[in-house]
Amino acid sequence: MVPILQNSCARATSLEEARYRIDIPIEGRRGARVVALDDGAATLVRRLAREPWNAARFYTLPAQEPGEPGTWLHRTSGSSTPLADELAEGDVVVMIATRNDASAAAVETLGRAAAERGIMTAAVALGRQEGMTNAVRALRPYARVLLVNGEESDVAELLTAIRS
Amino acid sequence: MLKTEINELLTQTGPGTPMGELFRQYWIPALLAEELPENDSPPVRVKLLSERMLAFRDSEGRYGLIDEFCAHRGASLWFGRNEEGGLRCAYHGWKYDVTGQAVEVPSEPENSNFCAHVKLRSYPLVKIGDVLWTHMGAPDERPPLPEFEFAQVEPEQTYISKRWQESNWLQAFEGGIDSSHVSWLHSGGLKSDPLFKGAKGNEYNMNDLRPFFEVADAEGGLFVGARRNAEEDSYYWRITPWVMPSFTLVPPRGDHPVHGHWWIPIDDHNCWAYSFDYHPTRPLTETEVAAMRAGHGVHSENIPGTYRPVANKDNDYLMDREAQRRGEYFSGVKGIAIQDSSLQESMGPIVDRSKERLVSADAGIIKARQKLRKAALALQKDGTVPPGVDPAHHRVRSAAVVLPRDAAFIESSQDALTAEPGKPHASV
Ligand code: FES
Ligand SMILES: [Fe+2]
Repeated sequence: MVPILQNSCARATSLEEARYRIDIPIEGRRGARVVALDDGAATLVRRLAREPWNAARFYTLPAQEPGEPGTWLHRTSGSSTPLADELAEGDVVVMIATRNDASAAAVETLGRAAAERGIMTAAVALGRQEGMTNAVRALRPYARVLLVNGEESDVAELLTAIRS
Repeated sequence: MLKTEINELLTQTGPGTPMGELFRQYWIPALLAEELPENDSPPVRVKLLSERMLAFRDSEGRYGLIDEFCAHRGASLWFGRNEEGGLRCAYHGWKYDVTGQAVEVPSEPENSNFCAHVKLRSYPLVKIGDVLWTHMGAPDERPPLPEFEFAQVEPEQTYISKRWQESNWLQAFEGGIDSSHVSWLHSGGLKSDPLFKGAKGNEYNMNDLRPFFEVADAEGGLFVGARRNAEEDSYYWRITPWVMPSFTLVPPRGDHPVHGHWWIPIDDHNCWAYSFDYHPTRPLTETEVAAMRAGHGVHSENIPGTYRPVANKDNDYLMDREAQRRGEYFSGVKGIAIQDSSLQESMGPIVDRSKERLVSADAGIIKARQKLRKAALALQKDGTVPPGVDPAHHRVRSAAVVLPRDAAFIESSQDALTAEPGKPHASV
């Protein structure tokens, strides 16, 4: 098989030819939902919420709300909102734990709700793994991607990389 | 997605660049020992981290890696004569030893001390296993020699090959920790490749095509775990270690040898893919070695006398649409190594990462880029020795294990992930 035009064969992957790659603006992700599972994570999430994001939304867990833990979320602005509403347009749920006693019940609610809607789940467990075994164990069944012994910057790094 | 500045930071490895300085902290493979098979064998041109050099082995068996060009008028020493304890330039006869020191300048009087002041830039070249390693950083910061298990087992337990890849090192390396491509791109090989087939783990692999991923920080780099359902109460874990800057191991399959890679920048548009196979407790069989030589497993069939694959971008990697249709090769390209190189080269010499649309399943790649950037900047800022320099970080293994559902992969496999002479590898 003899290629006729240069770009009809793999040799077109030169630096020269790379210049001709179609260049259109890339739309960011609209559905990142970031949930802090404990107080330490809440501080981080409140800080992140002040940075410019494409459309990511940030939540903490309310101290007391009706129903199962996780069925209601707290916006970083302070108001409460039902999980179901927030997931309506979601495409990834990112859960953040900084303490070993992060609410397993909330993780389960979030994880199940995301799974039912075909929404991807990810989680970051901050801090040395030895101290986070319970949190990791709670997250593992529900987070399709789990970063263990992560650092704080991992969260921002992950959100930026996936265009949140 | 990665900002353009960070993409440039991570992909440029020439002298003086932050990533180039990072690579110069490590002992890295410079060439294969087979390239300098005997004393006084022909010198070999070696380009690494955008520096052109010449490797040679002198009459006493000493190895050296020196500037490719003669100090006199810049002719390539590749044309030189390797004889009587040194390399003599073919142009005017200046002669150098393995350290780059000029030992004879024929135009000067016999008792002149002129040549004492002529020395070419040189780097050490040390044989460990079947690899000649070099350290291109400052001599006074030279770390202890590397201790990777594949290079330390008995010669009959290990095999290594290399191939030239026409892309930047980073996109090649990223393939090594990108566990999610294996069930697609390499799916054909799990059934048929002599160096993969038959393992119990392959069934788990094929029965669950949507693995969960877990990424754990390690002292020398990362562990990337891919978890699939095994039996009712257990998970099948495939664990890939990465040791900085660019060493990765593939999780094993059954009693097959373990494969792994080193990706070494030649310049910013080319890299070497070193691919090895070793078995920690037994010699490789003749059949295995024959399969490796023939380009099966992670190895490639190269054009004789070169390290360029037979299937390369000039011939569209010998794309076979019929085999693609039959499902023999998912992409229509034969062999794991070329399946990888074809797609990675298709991204262009340096892929524009500002145009990517990463997903959370790419977390291993995201984390690795972050670690590389942090290490390069910390080195630049206050000389922090990066992870992976300490030989203790080299003693890792990959693993393929079945664990109870509530066991954490790192803790439960700590022993399996640590290399120790003679210890069987954890593999199903
Ligand atoms: S699907 Fe991953 S690069 Fe095309
Ligand atoms: Fe691959």
